[in-house]
Amino acid sequence: MQVLHLYNDIMNLYGEYANLTALGRFLAHNGERMALEYATFGDNVRLYDYDFIYMGSGTERNQKLVLADFARYSDELAAYIESGKPALFTGNAFEILGKSITDADGKKYDGLGIFDFETVEQRKTRMTADAIFEADFLDKPLVGFVNKCSTIKGVETPAFKVRMGLGNDDGKFEGLRKNNFIGTHLTGPIMVKNPHFLKYEASLESGRKDLSDDFLVYEKKGFEITLSELKARNN
Amino acid sequence: MKMFFTILICKLLRFVGKLIGKGSSMPGQIALRLCPDILSRVKLPEYIIAVTGSNGKTSTVEMIAHILQKSGRNVAWNREGSNQIEGVTTLVLSSATLGGKVNADILLIESDERFAKYTFKYITPTHYVITNLYRDQLTRNGHPEWVYDAIKDSIHPETTLILNADDPLVASFGQGRKNVIWFGADKLDSDTELLESVYNDGAFCPVCKGRMVYSTHHYNHIGHYSCMSCGYSRPDTDYTITSVDLGSGVMTIDGKHEITLALKSLYNIYNILAAYTVASLVGVDGEKIAADMSNYVMKNGRVVTFDLGGRKGTLLTSKHENSISYDQSIRVACADGRGVDVLIIVDAVSRKYFTSDVSWLWDIDFEMLGDENIHEIILAGKYCNDLAVRFSYTTIPDDKIRIFEDIDKAADYLSSGRKEYIYTITCFSDKGKFLANVKGE
Repeated sequence: MQVLHLYNDIMNLYGEYANLTALGRFLAHNGERMALEYATFGDNVRLYDYDFIYMGSGTERNQKLVLADFARYSDELAAYIESGKPALFTGNAFEILGKSITDADGKKYDGLGIFDFETVEQRKTRMTADAIFEADFLDKPLVGFVNKCSTIKGVETPAFKVRMGLGNDDGKFEGLRKNNFIGTHLTGPIMVKNPHFLKYEASLESGRKDLSDDFLVYEKKGFEITLSELKARNN
Repeated sequence: MKMFFTILICKLLRFVGKLIGKGSSMPGQIALRLCPDILSRVKLPEYIIAVTGSNGKTSTVEMIAHILQKSGRNVAWNREGSNQIEGVTTLVLSSATLGGKVNADILLIESDERFAKYTFKYITPTHYVITNLYRDQLTRNGHPEWVYDAIKDSIHPETTLILNADDPLVASFGQGRKNVIWFGADKLDSDTELLESVYNDGAFCPVCKGRMVYSTHHYNHIGHYSCMSCGYSRPDTDYTITSVDLGSGVMTIDGKHEITLALKSLYNIYNILAAYTVASLVGVDGEKIAADMSNYVMKNGRVVTFDLGGRKGTLLTSKHENSISYDQSIRVACADGRGVDVLIIVDAVSRKYFTSDVSWLWDIDFEMLGDENIHEIILAGKYCNDLAVRFSYTTIPDDKIRIFEDIDKAADYLSSGRKEYIYTITCFSDKGKFLANVKGE
């Protein structure tokens, strides 16, 4: 299996690389071979050659640099998503797929335009929160952390229901889902922190329903402890 | 009259607060409510020295105070580390006469980096030290560039900046500015040619975002860098660590002043250099500073030696949510040739706020603990499972690792059977839970 990590050298604020390290080990444990490749500024890749594409979060300035460089992949990424292949963009990475991003100085950047939503940043307060998100495609909620300075308006197909934490704009729904593309403002190694989500993504990528997660012992304990900590906090 | 009463009330509240053991920010908070611009009304001393940055603020400020006080100067400083505007107000008003004159030769302020702009709206520092900008408490701080923007709003044009030349983001505060004093280290014996860190915050130029290259790394992204696009590069330094021997614990400043280190870490030498720079600028003789800093043991309780059931050890207070702080502590343990055990505790991520986020564990270079000097690794606290997962992605063999959710049980385990020296690596939020099990040295 071919996996592509986009802009890993600059969109890497919260230990995001671990998502792919975990995916590789999970697949290996289930007898699948995963080849991980990286692409950054100036590289040329064919997105359709990959079975899974990932991008993590970066600073607001760095996200604009990536937007400028990645704009050339707009049609290709739209086709990739349309085809139903899996991709995950975490933190502010998925904002670039929308119509526009307006920065804290009011400067408006054209997005890739694959989706119709718009992002507006501010620099007064950092918007951060521990989060519990639910999704109809997962049997357990996701736990994680939101770390952003933007609000998003106009997402028609959000990925998650917000049980705790911050949503796109009204606070009830979060992220973006289209076919097997998921964008979420959850930051960091969410596939490590949520072993059921790791299994979900791995089965999308491999097309296998029989993947074993029995060996994720500490992962599962860690998840349960965090979920109960967050629930206690939320009550 | 308003000033008189505000100062009086602040002093009274501080007095009562001390008796009942309350923190130092409440009196200032009330003073600010009575008179929001009180800080611009009082008469401040000739020297107003501010210190901010991700790491080393408290230690640097303590060292500056120590040197300046030994030189006979009267220093008012926030020794309890209340470093937002309320704490600074308490400090200033408690040190002032009722007529509003601060009774000190030097006002020395440790300032929180994100909130410095509020404090320095009313106070214009004569000297402003910025130690470093790291990934630190990102669940509140966002990221280093976010903090950079916040600090930028706190800088007055007339202030002399005292900047760490070896930190590319910090040094960029000096772009286009004349009144800057630079401190940093020459190429050191402990340097590496290649980056030793899980991530690279020096990959891109903070000025133009071009690619940067390093001729040497002191640690992580701290070193000698230059941008291949715009030419931005590490400035020449005014005050310089010219050599350091971490084995014997001796550093040399400007090729002539030797300082014997009580704590043999690179962190410590930067804090000492920053303090040296400030004290020199105030007029203390270099040789005198070196003598005051030699074997100086910090009083802020961040390094604690202990006895656990007959086993000796050192607790290195490290900051959760701050990978460079952990990397530094890990390096200290790995450099101990006696062969040691290491206890890592993550129980409460912060003492000041709640979060369950452990993504920062992935930025720490735990792989270093595979060193032959490290015998056993004990992981403890509520988040021991997350630590165990993180360690499972290193090449350190499982049989070197023990896991205890209960910190007392981890201490019990350590106190029986083994002989090795112990390094405990944990944060302010968790160190008391461990220290309850030990005898102080």
